[in-house]
Amino acid sequence: MRWGGSGVTLLADILTILLNGLQQGAIYVLLAVGLSIILGTLKFVNFAHGALYLIGAYLGLFITGSVPLNDGQLVEWGIQSYGIGLGFIAALVIVPIVVFVIGLLMERFIAQAFYDRPDTDQILVTFGLAIIVQELLRAMLGGNSQPFPQPSWASGPIALPVVGNFPRWRLGVIVITAVLVLAVYALVEYTDFGLIVQAGTLDDEMVRLLGIRLSRPYLVVFGIGAALAGVAGVVGGPLANVNPNIGTEQLVPAFLTVVIGGVGKIEGAVVAGLMLGTLQVLLIQTGYAAWSQVGIYALAAIILLVRPQGLLGSEVDVS
Amino acid sequence: MSDEPRDATATAATDADAEVTGGLGDRWASFRDREISTVLLTVVGVAVFPFLFNNFLDGYTQLATLVLIYGIFAVGFDILLGYTGLLSFGHAVFFGGAAYAAGIFSASVSSSPLLVLLAGTVFAVLMAWIVGFLSLRRGGIYFAILTLTFGQMSFYLAASPLAFLTNGENGFTSVDIGHLLGVIDIHGGVPFPLSMLVDNMLYVFVAVMTVLSVAMANRILHSPYGTVFRAIRENERRAEFVGLDVWRYKLMAFIISAAFAGIAGSLFTIEGNYVPLESLYWTESGRIVIMTVLGGVGSLFGPLFGAGLYLYIENIVSGFPTLGPFWHLILGIVFVVAVVVFPNGIWGGIEYSQDRIMAAIRFTRENGIKAALRYAVDLIVRKVKAVFQRISSIPTRLLGGEDK
Repeated sequence: MRWGGSGVTLLADILTILLNGLQQGAIYVLLAVGLSIILGTLKFVNFAHGALYLIGAYLGLFITGSVPLNDGQLVEWGIQSYGIGLGFIAALVIVPIVVFVIGLLMERFIAQAFYDRPDTDQILVTFGLAIIVQELLRAMLGGNSQPFPQPSWASGPIALPVVGNFPRWRLGVIVITAVLVLAVYALVEYTDFGLIVQAGTLDDEMVRLLGIRLSRPYLVVFGIGAALAGVAGVVGGPLANVNPNIGTEQLVPAFLTVVIGGVGKIEGAVVAGLMLGTLQVLLIQTGYAAWSQVGIYALAAIILLVRPQGLLGSEVDVS
Repeated sequence: MSDEPRDATATAATDADAEVTGGLGDRWASFRDREISTVLLTVVGVAVFPFLFNNFLDGYTQLATLVLIYGIFAVGFDILLGYTGLLSFGHAVFFGGAAYAAGIFSASVSSSPLLVLLAGTVFAVLMAWIVGFLSLRRGGIYFAILTLTFGQMSFYLAASPLAFLTNGENGFTSVDIGHLLGVIDIHGGVPFPLSMLVDNMLYVFVAVMTVLSVAMANRILHSPYGTVFRAIRENERRAEFVGLDVWRYKLMAFIISAAFAGIAGSLFTIEGNYVPLESLYWTESGRIVIMTVLGGVGSLFGPLFGAGLYLYIENIVSGFPTLGPFWHLILGIVFVVAVVVFPNGIWGGIEYSQDRIMAAIRFTRENGIKAALRYAVDLIVRKVKAVFQRISSIPTRLLGGEDK
């Protein structure tokens, strides 16, 4: 093998695209894993998942530092800024816990009433909830974009072998996502809790007949899915500005990730998220930036038409 | 869903009822079931709407026009959602697509309003053929997500790769609308007898289109074809067992609803002389979902009410002093309440209370006022008890939750 100069740059280019794709896809993956386990086990379509991401981002801002306000209802009530300034690590710990609890409440008071109603009703009610959360935030805090500062210990570039300089925070996003997804995967695959959830997914009637209460594991699954969306908000916040629209903007690609990967499949969500992220970065870096958004939707459409159950989905799921 | 056409026996029963009791309500019901009366009601409705809207509700004619345009869109959308049971999250493709097609057609082919309308609608139908063909391969949530996918794809297509046609993020501005049939200035005033009701030719044009659209929707839904749509909504598998080509009917329902969206989109261009890029964004699809559900799925007039309510909150309530900034939030809350409590929307609620009042009158006539009062008190007590029971069950639901 010859190590020519062009070969190294080509390799570096490919690796850079892959790393950026990983980072771009990481947020999709975090959201999609949560959506997917909720959809797979509880058969509940959560269009409010983007709203949980949104809550995560704003809560992250609130915990991390102090944010000046310039419009919205709070300003008119005399509040000039919000935030408690505990730092980023605190946000990373507190946000998932809070959003986990929000998820529990959502399951008990909203989702449960809709398990027996048609899919379309579930979509409608969660879509309405998403609007309520988004517009409440807009009315209170204003529609302006707020910068979400990167944590100081993770700003600036880091020198990587072959690739060269890479933004430290982007690497952080990849690492955090990987750790969380692996943790959820281990929880579902290797614990008794996961076993019950998996069994319930396959045949909930049988599991109940065996005397196992499914309502609590299901409740926890919903909470975990919600918490992942909350973390995604904290992790994804510093990559772009935070405004009330980011929830719905992230929801559509996240849903695509779920259906491309196959409903209920954590591995599927990871593969699909990375595919979408890499394709997007590839199109941007090769000069087709205008096509980058069209590209991911086209890819999604093609995959869904060729393999309706998703890349790793089982045949049984096809409705 | 009492707005739906009844079958032969039910109509016969209603007629018999009318003869026996001769009640005003029953006569009204039998009047309402006829096709000509639906059209007449629509004509009267659109004729007095701007007068009432402008004088009593703080509205203005331009908004009234917009209400009718979105009303047409919602009536069409309801054929798909309310009657066939398919939830599309991509109908912005047909509304916005038709708006763009109409705009581009007006700028480069012909500026005749009728031809522009035709061009936009044909474009929407062709798009629906393709999108429907691909999306209907899967049902339920997958259909919703696939239509959403195609919707977003067309938004991003129009945003940059096709910007040379659509003018990208600035929206399409070079719309050129000529005179109707070469003589009538569509943005001008109206001649005397009509001018007592409306002040603007554009409203008349849109109102005529609204009446035609409602008549068309009514005819489709009352035909055997429309009955098949309902059969599919109620039970797809059974419809298939009867020997119906379910897939084909679904595709046609999709295309028909897109044709209505196309009419509305083209009118939108004619009305505003401008096509914003947001008309393709998925929030536009969400808007029409909200309007239709708010107004009442599965009814003919419900969606028109929903469109009116949505635009009223968006444009008039948003100007109110304290409530104003929260208009979108109010809309969200009203929507969620409607989905949870009134699955048939405002129109369904009206029909329901109408039926209840009618039943109450009949009950009183048959059993006397005393029995009726006793029944009413009993009913209220039961309802209050049920509410208390729900509240007191919150702690248990929070902690354990019962397995079904």
